[in-house]
Amino acid sequence: MTLEGYLTLSLMLFCIGVFAVLSQRNLIAVLIGVELMMNAASLNVMAFNRFSVTDPTTGQIFVLIIIGLAAAEVAIFLSIIVNLYRTRRTIDAEQLTELQG
Amino acid sequence: MDTLNLILATTFAPFAAFVLAILFLMRQPRLAQVVVIAGGTLSLAGAVSLLSAGPVEPLRYLWFTSGDIQLRFGFLLDGLSLMFGVAVALITLCVMVYSLGYMGHDPSKTRYFAMLALFEWAMLSFVYAVDLMQTFIFWELVGLASFFLIGFWYEKPSATAAAKKAFLMTRVGDVGLFIGVLMVLQVAGHFDVPGLLATEGGLVAQATPAVLTTITLLIFVGIVGKSAQFPLHTWLPDAMEGPTPVSALLHSATMVAAGVYLMARLHPLFMGSETTLGIILIVASMTALLAATMAMVATDIKRVLAYSSISQLGFMLLGLAAGSLFAGVFHLITHALFKALLFLCSGLFIHHLETNDMAQIGRGGGRRMRFATAGLVVGGAALAGIPPLGGFFSKEEIFAALGHDGVTLFSVVALLAAFLTAYYTFRMIFLVTRPQQVEAVDVHGDHDRAEPLSMALPVVLLTVGAAVAGFWGGDIARGLGIEAGHHSLAAMAPALAVVALGVLVAWLDFGRQTATRTGFIARMPALERLFTNGWYVDAFYDAVIVRITMLAATILYAAESRLLDANFDRLGFGVLGLGSGTRRLQNGWVQFYGGWAVVLVGLAAAYFGMSD
Amino acid sequence: MLEQAVIYLFAALVLSGGLMAAWTRHILYAIIGLGISLFGVAGLFLYLGSPFLAAMQLLIYIGGITVAIVFAMMLSIAMTVTPPERNRAKTVFAAVCTAAFGLGVFQLVRAARFPAVSPAPEEAWSVGAIGHALLTHYNLVFETLSVVLLLAIMGAILIARPQRKAAS
Repeated sequence: MTLEGYLTLSLMLFCIGVFAVLSQRNLIAVLIGVELMMNAASLNVMAFNRFSVTDPTTGQIFVLIIIGLAAAEVAIFLSIIVNLYRTRRTIDAEQLTELQG
Repeated sequence: MDTLNLILATTFAPFAAFVLAILFLMRQPRLAQVVVIAGGTLSLAGAVSLLSAGPVEPLRYLWFTSGDIQLRFGFLLDGLSLMFGVAVALITLCVMVYSLGYMGHDPSKTRYFAMLALFEWAMLSFVYAVDLMQTFIFWELVGLASFFLIGFWYEKPSATAAAKKAFLMTRVGDVGLFIGVLMVLQVAGHFDVPGLLATEGGLVAQATPAVLTTITLLIFVGIVGKSAQFPLHTWLPDAMEGPTPVSALLHSATMVAAGVYLMARLHPLFMGSETTLGIILIVASMTALLAATMAMVATDIKRVLAYSSISQLGFMLLGLAAGSLFAGVFHLITHALFKALLFLCSGLFIHHLETNDMAQIGRGGGRRMRFATAGLVVGGAALAGIPPLGGFFSKEEIFAALGHDGVTLFSVVALLAAFLTAYYTFRMIFLVTRPQQVEAVDVHGDHDRAEPLSMALPVVLLTVGAAVAGFWGGDIARGLGIEAGHHSLAAMAPALAVVALGVLVAWLDFGRQTATRTGFIARMPALERLFTNGWYVDAFYDAVIVRITMLAATILYAAESRLLDANFDRLGFGVLGLGSGTRRLQNGWVQFYGGWAVVLVGLAAAYFGMSD
Repeated sequence: MLEQAVIYLFAALVLSGGLMAAWTRHILYAIIGLGISLFGVAGLFLYLGSPFLAAMQLLIYIGGITVAIVFAMMLSIAMTVTPPERNRAKTVFAAVCTAAFGLGVFQLVRAARFPAVSPAPEEAWSVGAIGHALLTHYNLVFETLSVVLLLAIMGAILIARPQRKAAS
């Protein structure tokens, strides 16, 4: 598969993630969408790392960092969800609209 | 101590006390009182030692230079300022000590004492100022301090209204004064008072007669405002809303005296313009007469004294405008003493009997208060001009100055005003000391508390001062560098006669046992109404000036609301509509925002894809 | 040939898992879909020359993050709860936005030209090279990331712990 092929694949995965983030009602599903987007980014970086970079270490470390940050993000996100559920008894994104104008 | 340190100590001691009290001692009223009174005492000591050292060369220090103009700060220590400085310091100290008793129970007395110190600083600096701009600055500070003190009881709406009125009406005059000061700068190129007053190269020599007349008239406008002359006199009676010691201070040595002092300070300039002198004579004599008539019918003891202040200020200006610096200054100083005394006495009555009405004070047993009654009689007699008390000699000087050119309308008016002065003064004295019956019940019971030492002491001191002030005439004249004339008994006769007549009429109306206690003016109801309503000056202001202003305001309001405001409203409501439209976008759904965000990112990406 | 087929299989896993995760209304299915998709990505990493990252992906993502999400699900909602109805208008809106975004970026991908580079030598891909770079050139990033993780853990604990009620 060529670089363009990988890029298109990662774009499609990213779009799937975006759709999940935009359409799902459950906050955990929204988080899953975010994870999909991150993986699309990782895939993208790895594709470039493979096809158009001379030193392959950089890209791999980049992806490592993405994985590490994803872990941190998930930890925070999940604690927020747990806290929200405890105070509001809901994790439905459509009911959490207190900041409306 | 050399002169510079002495004068600095004199003027800045109250200022230091003010700063200390207002910044650090708000919670320690006792300490604040001590500090302020210490400042006042230091000031008095400094002023007295300066006076005893005698006049010295003016001290001038450059403040800043702007182009050709040099602005200086400094101290002008001649006979006039030295003498008046002592009077200011003395009376302020008396008032401070008196206030220990009078304001003893006021919760915010620290503020009160701090303001007294501020007042003294402003007034002393004004008195000793060497530069006309410095004079103006401290003139305004005096007004500011009096604003604070008149409105001291700011919880009372009438007090804040009176404070505002005093401030605004004196501001009207101050505009004139400021223009006058600027014209002085334009003509002379400097603000140095001794330089302006010099016979050679002074302002009188530099300015054309018309310009000099304009300048002096503008300065006089300021004096009219400050010294409560007709037609800007109406703030002064309202200023009675302040605490009584403040009235004593305001009416004797500070605030209103500042106007007369300024005229005395710049007397040579005024002497250079016949027109100005004529106008001052007219205004001052009108004021003296009008205010005296108002005092005749007032029932509030403080109002009587307020109107009498206006009237006496008219007398001082009459003396000055008639060409006699000595007469004006002499009366200024004697008046300061006896008017402060009268106010402090009335304060004793008010404090103890809790009423301002003279008849009620009499019925309530006012005459049992010995210090207050003695002070009232001595001060009143001095005010009326009974020989040999203070007021007699100084008023005599004014009559002599007025009669210099033979009998004129002004001397007749002044005599009439003097008659009324004697009449209303003794009306006050008789109402207080000779009531028809005294109610047996005393409000507070024992008399020791009625007149505490802190309040009695200043009264005694000022009683003595008011009694002997008349004999200082020679010294004051020497201090001013003028030879005091001696007046024959024949020259004094008309004044003595009108005073005696006034006392007699007052006795007939109010003093004797069978008197009606209504006053002869009650037989002329129209006149009485006129006097009671203060010649309708305030009513005139309300009816004409306020109405014209309101009319103009209405027209402008219509123009504003139709033309400007309507369009601004349209603008505002447009933005508002835009806002409420876009507000719908802010619906709180994070996913909705996110959708727009990704769409925009996609658009940006497509744009960059196209451009490649 | 076989290699290509396996690559396309992994790509298909990635997309189908992702679609499953994005479309389902049951949270458990979504998590399973995520796992499938992540597994596909790990396989692609393998063919992109980095077995180390593929292992990491399996270890951290599937082994750690997915399990954490399962935990959160169990702590917040009962699995038996019927999932809420889909909001049709929002779904359409999301689809339109996603399509606009996808087309825009696809335009960019098609227009862009990338220089072709000869593949790096085999030893450059070794885990040793990555470890060396992490502890020398990327040391600061490495340490910063560890601090970020520490802070995230502390923050998560702080947010999630039960709030103390004001004593009253």
